[in-house]
Order: sequence, then C-alpha cells, then structure tokens
Amino acid sequence: MNITKRIVQNYIGKTIFNNETRRISIFPILNVKEIHEVQEGNQLIIYGQEKASPREPYLLKNNQTEKCPVCASGLNIKHTDVLILSQFVRLDGCMLPRRITGLCGKQQKRISTLVSMAQKAGLMPNLTPAWSKKDPKKRIV
Amino acid sequence: MSALKRVQQWATFARIWHIYDATWQNPFKSAEVVKKFLMGLYKPIYHPLNDCGDHVIIINSGEIALPGDEWKKRVYFHHTGYPGGASWTLAWELHTKDPTMILKKAIYNSMDGNLQRRHTMQRLHIFPDANVPKSLLDNVSNQIRQLRPVPTRLDRYTAEEVASYPKLIDYPKDYIIR
Ligand SMILES: [Zn+2]
Repeated sequence: MNITKRIVQNYIGKTIFNNETRRISIFPILNVKEIHEVQEGNQLIIYGQEKASPREPYLLKNNQTEKCPVCASGLNIKHTDVLILSQFVRLDGCMLPRRITGLCGKQQKRISTLVSMAQKAGLMPNLTPAWSKKDPKKRIV
Repeated sequence: MSALKRVQQWATFARIWHIYDATWQNPFKSAEVVKKFLMGLYKPIYHPLNDCGDHVIIINSGEIALPGDEWKKRVYFHHTGYPGGASWTLAWELHTKDPTMILKKAIYNSMDGNLQRRHTMQRLHIFPDANVPKSLLDNVSNQIRQLRPVPTRLDRYTAEEVASYPKLIDYPKDYIIR
C-alpha cells in the first residue's frame, strides 16, 4: 500500500514539476503554437506549428552551469535597469516563480524586490499589475 | 586698453544665465550646486562685496525626488505672528500647493542669512514644468549637470530595443506565454 502510494506521488510530482524531462505525454503538449490554415482544393488543412522562443537569439551563454543566470552574469542589477527586470515578469507585470526563472533563492528575492521598486517608481508603467497605482505622483498621499 | 582687454573685462563681469533640470533630483543636494552659481562662488573674482552672482533657471521643479520617506516626514514651519498662528505643513502638502516651494526654500536655507541673500534669490527663476518664457531662455548659455542620471522608462524604449536586449533567462520549453 505504501509502495503504491509512493509510486503515485512520485509520478504526480514528476508530471507536475518536471515536465521537461517527461518522455511521454498523456494530454496534448502545451507549447506555444501558431495555427495555420491551408486550403488545397476542397480540402482545408489546419495545423499548429510550434513557435521558437523570441529570446533564443539574444540569450546570454551561461558558462558557469553551477550558478544561476544572474549570479553567473556577474551584473550588479539596480531597480533602474528595466530592460533586465522586464525579463522576469509576466505580461501582466507579476513576478515569474522560481521554477520558471531558474534563479537561486537569494537572486529571486532580490530581483522580485527590484521589480516592485521599479514598478513603484513608475519605471515600468506598461508592465505593472492593473490594480496597482501606476503613477507614483498619485501615491504621495 | 586694447580691444581684447576690454572684451575680457566685459566677459568677466557679465552675468551668465544657467539652466538646471530638476527632474528626479534631490532638491537639498541640488541646492548646494545651484547656490555656487547663484552667488558666483566658482569665479576667481569672487568676493562677498563683489556683485558677481549669476542667474539660474530651474525647470521641472514639480518632478523633484525626495529621499526615503521625506515626503511624509519633512515638516515646514510657519508662524503668522499672532497667538495660535503656528502651522506645520508636510512636504507633500507644500508640494501640491506650490511645486516650486520645496526647491526655493532648500536654496534659500542653504545660503547664509545676510542682507545679500534676498537679492541673490531674485536671480533664481524656478518653473514647475518645462514651459519657460522665451525671453528668459534666450539668455541661457550654460547647462548645469544633473547630480544623477534620469532613468529611462520601459515604455520609452522602442519595441525592437526591448526585444533585442541581451536576455538572461529563456522560458522553459513547456511555458505558456501569458
Ligand atoms: Zn544565484
């Protein structure tokens, strides 16, 4: 009974948190796909094509694989470096979780602090949660 | 006196007009910089009795940045002279009433209280935004360097600049962009 429980837990844990290493999929893969429609005579072909990440050509090479991307880059990131900080947020301005950013705990904490600092200073008005007061001048009171 | 010496004499005693952009600047540290130009302290001919101060135009005083929680904690005191005439105004209250006052008081308080101070202040022109009369702007021949650079907002960059900036992380393969 215990063994079966552990196997089930192990399996569920892997399917949820370790999708990348999974070899088979039970349900359709959730990759970003572009839908194409091709008309050939009286035959309509609709197919989804996987899109490459737009960041691929601009990705910095991480030579020190034992370190996280921010530690390996050796940058002293400040809250004014919005071009870097905007890489760590969703389109609605929320911080990405650690399992997606792949940062160490220290840098994840630091980056999320810097992101909120930049948002509060009004430096990322197009990447700020909608419920926040975007204009810092309206926050004085 | 030769023509060169004559022009040198005029240039030495001419009043110069400086311009200073107060966007994102600390008003109290900016006051120490602006004061030097207002009083002419940087000139080799400076003397307290020598009227050699310059004019300074400060633009965007509404965009100043106070350090820490000074907007909430800094208090400006005023007394009308009548009993019970004391009043305390917080920095953010004063700034909403008049966006030039914090900078004006900072510069006024940075100078020694002597008879010359009021006349020196007459040479200071503060504007809450960048709308300066053309008659004043025509005189300007020098720009005072800002104490710290003004950071660029993310929406001021073009889409290509944001997209082609070197990336530290990539999305995982199974990530759904949202
Ligand atoms: Zn790290």
